[in-house]
This record gives sequence, structure tokens and C-alpha cells, in this order.
Amino acid sequence: MPMPLDLKTLPHRRQEAWKWTDVQAKVSEDQNGLTRTAIPNFDVPDGVKLSEGEGQKGHGAMAELAAQFGGQSWNVYVPANTHPTSDLVIDRLAQGHARIAIMVDKGASLTMTENYEGAENGFSNLDLQIHLAEGATLNRRVIHRDPDSHIRISNVHIAAESNTTITQHCLSFGGALSRLETGLTCEGEGVKAILNGAYLLRDKRHTDMTSFIRLKQPDSHIRQAVKGVVTDKSRGVFQGKFLVERPAQHTDAAMRHDALMLSDSAEVRAKPELEIYADDVACEHGNTIGALDESALFYMRQRGIPLKQARALLTEAFVSEAFDSLADDTLRESLNAQVQAWLEANA
Amino acid sequence: MLKINNLSATVDDGKKTILKDLSLEIPAGEVHAIMGPNGAGKSTLSYVLTGRDGYAATGGSVEFEGEDLLEMEPEERAAKGLFLSFQYPLEIPGVPTMTFLKTALNAQRKARGEEEMKAPEFLKKAKALAKELKMDPDMLKRPLNVGFSGGEKKRMEIFQMMMLEPRFIVMDETDSGLDVDAMRIVADGVNKLRSEEFGGKDRGMLVITHYQRLLDYIVPDKVHVLAGGKIAETGDAEFAKKLEAEGYDAYAA
Repeated sequence: MPMPLDLKTLPHRRQEAWKWTDVQAKVSEDQNGLTRTAIPNFDVPDGVKLSEGEGQKGHGAMAELAAQFGGQSWNVYVPANTHPTSDLVIDRLAQGHARIAIMVDKGASLTMTENYEGAENGFSNLDLQIHLAEGATLNRRVIHRDPDSHIRISNVHIAAESNTTITQHCLSFGGALSRLETGLTCEGEGVKAILNGAYLLRDKRHTDMTSFIRLKQPDSHIRQAVKGVVTDKSRGVFQGKFLVERPAQHTDAAMRHDALMLSDSAEVRAKPELEIYADDVACEHGNTIGALDESALFYMRQRGIPLKQARALLTEAFVSEAFDSLADDTLRESLNAQVQAWLEANA
Repeated sequence: MLKINNLSATVDDGKKTILKDLSLEIPAGEVHAIMGPNGAGKSTLSYVLTGRDGYAATGGSVEFEGEDLLEMEPEERAAKGLFLSFQYPLEIPGVPTMTFLKTALNAQRKARGEEEMKAPEFLKKAKALAKELKMDPDMLKRPLNVGFSGGEKKRMEIFQMMMLEPRFIVMDETDSGLDVDAMRIVADGVNKLRSEEFGGKDRGMLVITHYQRLLDYIVPDKVHVLAGGKIAETGDAEFAKKLEAEGYDAYAA
């Protein structure tokens, strides 16, 4: 018998960073995968090496649990100046704890997709540590489709050296409780990052998109846009923070979170934060929570578009802005099609 | 074609009565103009006819081709052929003009039990029309009305009108924001829809305007003065000129 997971060690709402995502209150003893090691499936492109080893450990209670129950780390290595022609795909994170460490060496690039499809009544906890060496490029995509009963924590940290480029696009349809957390530390100068996401939630689903971007050196350019759509009794959470340290002059960073409430019973919680110690920077954040524009809806109906379709069109247009920066046309269309399908069923 | 009988209507959740026992009949093939002072209820009439939320009919009836218009949802009225050219056309962010219009056209056709218009036919028609209205074809690819000037938005209303070929057209202050050249282009479009060739005999129009100048280009069959929530007087096209010269003081409530 493996030792049990002490539920008291789970994050809870009295901790500031988890005040809107109370894992402890949601997890029960009968959740599947609490003490198990997850067995992810990797599609590894040519030229990329996969091995098992010590790996690295992230910060916080969930990373501790991943270290305790997640076994060895899966280590992915992209050698210097390698540009794989296909994507790294990680899926089958159906339940249990997983540890993954990815190193993209100097001048190399990696496009990776994580498909989160959890098991019924499952619990998933991922600790993913990514290191980008100088001049490396990372394109990360996350597609999150869990059943109503699944609880998922995905805790990702990216350490970016000088002149690295990152694009990240997450699409989440939530679960019983989900937190997709991204930490980015710009260790070097001239980091370019786009960190976008969208969540669409129905029933009592919950998605928390939390990010912490720490800029330690000059000349980085960060764009973050998260779109939320909530209906029924669902809850969307956005917590974003930019920490601009004293040496990080000429940082150009902008954060946006915009949420649409399709029903009054749904809930959105947002906390955008800036903490700036450098004096020559351009930093901004914006946050809106609102309903669809009634005048625009009437205009569309006057042209003959039925109300439901008008709502879906406006909402789709709102969400798709998060994916405009996605260079891969096929993927962008696929994400938009998933959004459309969701809207047809729920808007 | 359109019969308005003793129509009363309120706004602001019934707190304010704007239309009081308004009666008006517009037969197919005719263009009627409604003129009147600001605040007389001209725009309210256009919204009551098209079913906008917040504009409630509290008395009387509106029949469109024998059917009770007030019972229908806004999209049903549109599918029946009722079109409003808005005084302030809305911006629809993220929805390209062509997508919007094709969705609208085919939703109307579907509601009428007609076949959808295929993309090539739609594109061909749109391109020819854009040229006729002297519109930059790039405008059709951009999100509807987003970043357009006032005049461009009005021209886009006429473009939509000519693409949809509605049975009954309500034009609410279409001339505002248009220079003389643009007004001529708009009027040419409207007059084309009045012509025999484009089924003008079966089409009615209600042109709401504060000024007479649009009526030099779109010559109406009848001109009504809307004042104090009802039709205060009716005349012919010449009557509009008299109104322009003398103002609406005589109709002050």
C-alpha cells in the first residue's frame, strides 16, 4: 500500500494564492489517482530525446506532492540548434501525479501540445519545468477537456534565458476544479512572450488561469490576453502578476483579462497585479467583466440572425482574439471549431 | 402592405409614452417619408416596428402583409422582409462583414424555407454591388463597421439592404453623416430598389428624416409630419419643402 496523501497538505482558500481555488475543500479520499504516478504518453519528434531521471522540482505544495507521488521525472531534451519538424505531444494525463522536465538548448525550437483529458472522478497533478537556453523558441499549446468530476492542477514553470521566444495558447473547458498555472521567469534579456488563453465554462465547472511573470533583465516584451466565457453556475478565475525587477529596464509588458458572463448566476474572479521596481518600463493591465452588447445583438437580429446564433457569433469573435496570434492555421481553426461546438451547445 | 392602427408605445419600462394613437398605412410600391422635430418619436417608431427590447407597444396594432408584426421576434420580422437602416449602425467586432451578411442572408432564407445562397453566387453579387456603391472591397473583409466613419457606416447599411433585398425598408436618418456625393450614391441604390426591374412594385419604404434634402433624391409618394406621438399632417413631396422652409413650430405639442 502506498502511503496516503494527507489532504491537509493541499492548498486551500485561506492561502492568498489559492483563495478562489480551494483544492482542499474539493478533493475527497475517494478521488482516483491521489497517490498514483501518472503515465503520460509522449509523441517525441525526431531529434528530441526522452529519458527518465531526477529532473527538477517546482515550487509549492502541489510540486511537493508531485515529487512525493509522481516517481521519476520524464526528461525531454532538444539539442542545440535543433528544429524538430513535428510537435511534441503529451497526452493521457488522465489521473495521478506527473513530473516532466524539458530542456530546449541554445538556438533550438520546440512546439508542444498538451492534451488534458482526465478520467471520471480523477485527480491530476502535473509539475512541468521548462528551461529555454539562449535563443531558444517554445510554442506551447494546452487543450483541456476534463469530465465534470475531474480535479486538475497543472503547474508549469518556464525559465527563459536571453533572446528566447515563447508563444503559449491554452483552451480550457474546465472540470470540477482546474488550475492551469504558468510561471515565467525571464532570466535573460530580450525575451519575447505571448501568453494567451481562453476558458469556456458551463454547469458548475471551474477554471483558474494563474500566471506569474518575473522579469529580471532588460528589454523583454510580454503580451498576455486571457478570455473567459462563463454560464450556469460556473466560475472563472484569472490571477496575473508581472514582477519587474530593478534591472529589467525597457520592459514592455501588457496583460489583459476579459470575461463574458452569459448568465448572471456564473462567477468571474480576477486579480491582475503589477509590481515594478524599474523606472523606464511600459507596463499595463486591463480587466473587464461584462455581458454581450444588447445593441449589437438587436442589430444582428434585425438582419435576420436568430438570437442564439447572434450570441454565439459575438462570443466566438470575442474568444477567437486569444488565438489570432497562433501561427498554425490548422490548430487555430481546430480551437475555434471547439469553441463553436461549445457555443452551439451552451450559449 | 404595412398598416399601423392607433399605435401607442412606451420606452423606459413603460415610464414614458412616446407614440399616441399613431395610424399610418403604406401600400406596396410606395415610399412614404416621416418628418418631424427632434424627440417626436421618429426613432421610437422604427424600433417598435422592428421589435427592439425596451420599446413596447401598449395599444393598437401593426399588420405587415396581413400578419401581426408585434407578435414576432426581431429576426422573424427580418425574415418576413422588414429591414431597418439604422441611424447609428452598430460595430460588430471580430465578425467580418461578409461572414455577417452571409449568415444573415441565409438565416432569413432558412426561416422562409428557401435554399441557402452558395458562396460563389454571394461573393459575385457582393463584389458587383460594392463597385456600384463605390466601396473599397477591403471593407467587406474587415469586421463589420469597426473603425468605419459615419458615412461609411451609412453606405454599409445600403450595401446590406441591397444584398438582402427586403420587402419593406425603414430608413432612419440615413442622410445624417453623408456628404452630397455619398447621398447621391445612397439614393441611387434606394431608387434602384424602387424600380420595376428590382421588384419595386412589391416593396414599401418608410423614410424617416429630419431634413428635406434627402427627399430631393428619394422623392416620396407621401410625406407625414410626426409630432406629439402621432401623424399631425400628411401631404405630397412638395409639402416636404414647405416644412423645410417653415419648420415644425406649427406642430409643437
